[in-house]
Amino acid sequence: MENKKEETIQPKSQGAPYWLSFLPAGVQDFLTETGETSRFAGKFFQEVFLPPYEFKEIIRQSYEIGYRSLPLVATTAFIIGMVLTLQSRPTLVRFGAEAWLPAMVSVSIIREIGPVVISLICAGKIGSGIGAELGSMKVTEQIDAMEVSGTNPFKYIVVSRIISTTIMIPILVIMGDGIALYGSFLAVKAKGAVSFTLFFHQVFQNLDFSDVLPAIIKSFFFGFVIGLIGCYKGYNSKNGTEGVGQSANSAVVVASLLVFILDLIAVQITAFFGYI
Amino acid sequence: MSDTINTAQAVKQNIHEFGESIIEISHLQKSFGDNHVLTDFNLHIRRGENVVVLGKSGCGKSVLIKCIAGLLPYEGGSLKVFGKEIKDLKHKELDNMRASIGFVFQSSALYDSMTVRENLEFPLRRQKHGKSKQEVKKLIEETLENVGLLSAINLMPAELSGGMRKRIGLARSLVLEPELMLYDEPTTGLDPFTAREISRLMLDMQHKYNTSSIIISHDMQCAKLTANRLAVMMDGINYAQGTYQELSQLNDPKIHAFFENL
Repeated sequence: MENKKEETIQPKSQGAPYWLSFLPAGVQDFLTETGETSRFAGKFFQEVFLPPYEFKEIIRQSYEIGYRSLPLVATTAFIIGMVLTLQSRPTLVRFGAEAWLPAMVSVSIIREIGPVVISLICAGKIGSGIGAELGSMKVTEQIDAMEVSGTNPFKYIVVSRIISTTIMIPILVIMGDGIALYGSFLAVKAKGAVSFTLFFHQVFQNLDFSDVLPAIIKSFFFGFVIGLIGCYKGYNSKNGTEGVGQSANSAVVVASLLVFILDLIAVQITAFFGYI
Repeated sequence: MSDTINTAQAVKQNIHEFGESIIEISHLQKSFGDNHVLTDFNLHIRRGENVVVLGKSGCGKSVLIKCIAGLLPYEGGSLKVFGKEIKDLKHKELDNMRASIGFVFQSSALYDSMTVRENLEFPLRRQKHGKSKQEVKKLIEETLENVGLLSAINLMPAELSGGMRKRIGLARSLVLEPELMLYDEPTTGLDPFTAREISRLMLDMQHKYNTSSIIISHDMQCAKLTANRLAVMMDGINYAQGTYQELSQLNDPKIHAFFENL
């Protein structure tokens, strides 16, 4: 009987439970929002392994999220690589350590700047896009229409997007890292004679798996939270068209904040295992 | 607990003209927090019957059909569609039942990222896996031809006018050949001429596809044209039901005021 009840339509929870009423309203809202987001994430894990699998939609979303974000990611990464090199060079020259420039820049980009900056750009572009799209689908009853058509809208809309961001953001980070290093090479070359082979030889000589692997692993988590928050905010959009803007806005703010928090946690874990 | 005013003609029609009951709503209750939208709503609909539910904006008409489609949970009473209690259905059973229900949304709810063809293809792909590509193509073209918009097959929803969107929304619901149609304010936001066209189209489609319908509206012209029976929703209950003629002549101050103001 219990099982049957769970599978039928049940009312969604509303607001904080009564035993939290002694807390200030802001704290109650924060806890409620955190709880609802966790429940949303839990529903994702519950749905992701169960058929039917929406492969076609995942591929379409991966194209939209990955391919369409590449120009922005590439441009930003290229500029970051160049600027970081141009800004670091004078200091290294002062200490006679100019030869360490490729090593310093590559470690900075691969370990930290690449994953964090690219994820923040994606939180802005992709997170807001998902928040606004789902918010507008909610307001115009497209999600209800999907449900009436016998489609599980959570699976079709939410699961496919979260999977796509989780897969595509690490790929964008890897590509962005490569482009940033190329930007760095051009900046070094502009200031002195260095060959492409020599620059990248120095880069790879100073990089090892403990630099690359944690960075890629944390990018998966960044991708997951960007998709999760974008979908959560859009799917629970309220107050009509005004709510669509609010969903997009808060998706960017919360996802960006979570990227920083996850990065902090990742650094602690990496240090714990002795990779710093 | 209030009783519904049933006119004599409504009772007679209900028993003699139409088939078995396909929707049975008894003492339905639905609230949003302290806002009690449906307090004690009763309505029975028989096969082949068109019932228009009239009521002021915000009185809970859309909530009622969303409960019927299983989009909103209800707290009390009974709501049986095709003899099955909605709140006891598992998701899979509900999805199977929805294959027999067409829902035309107030905003048309066309999928913005899909063409008209893809909008019609979507429910077909989801509900009728047995059809070949050729059969699906033929069915989509036939349905669009029925609503007079075959030429719009490759257009995006953003390129359609309000009336065209309503027609495509109707076609998308009809493509599954449902037994029951639920219309949520089908003529809202349309000019009187287009509203009348849509009302006629709904009636034509009802004859062609042999459906029963619940039409939520506050458009009296649409109600006059399409309804076998009207139900007036007030204060969360089915306050009165009958034909347009009977209700407009009913000696009840509330109904009188309602008909005068619409």
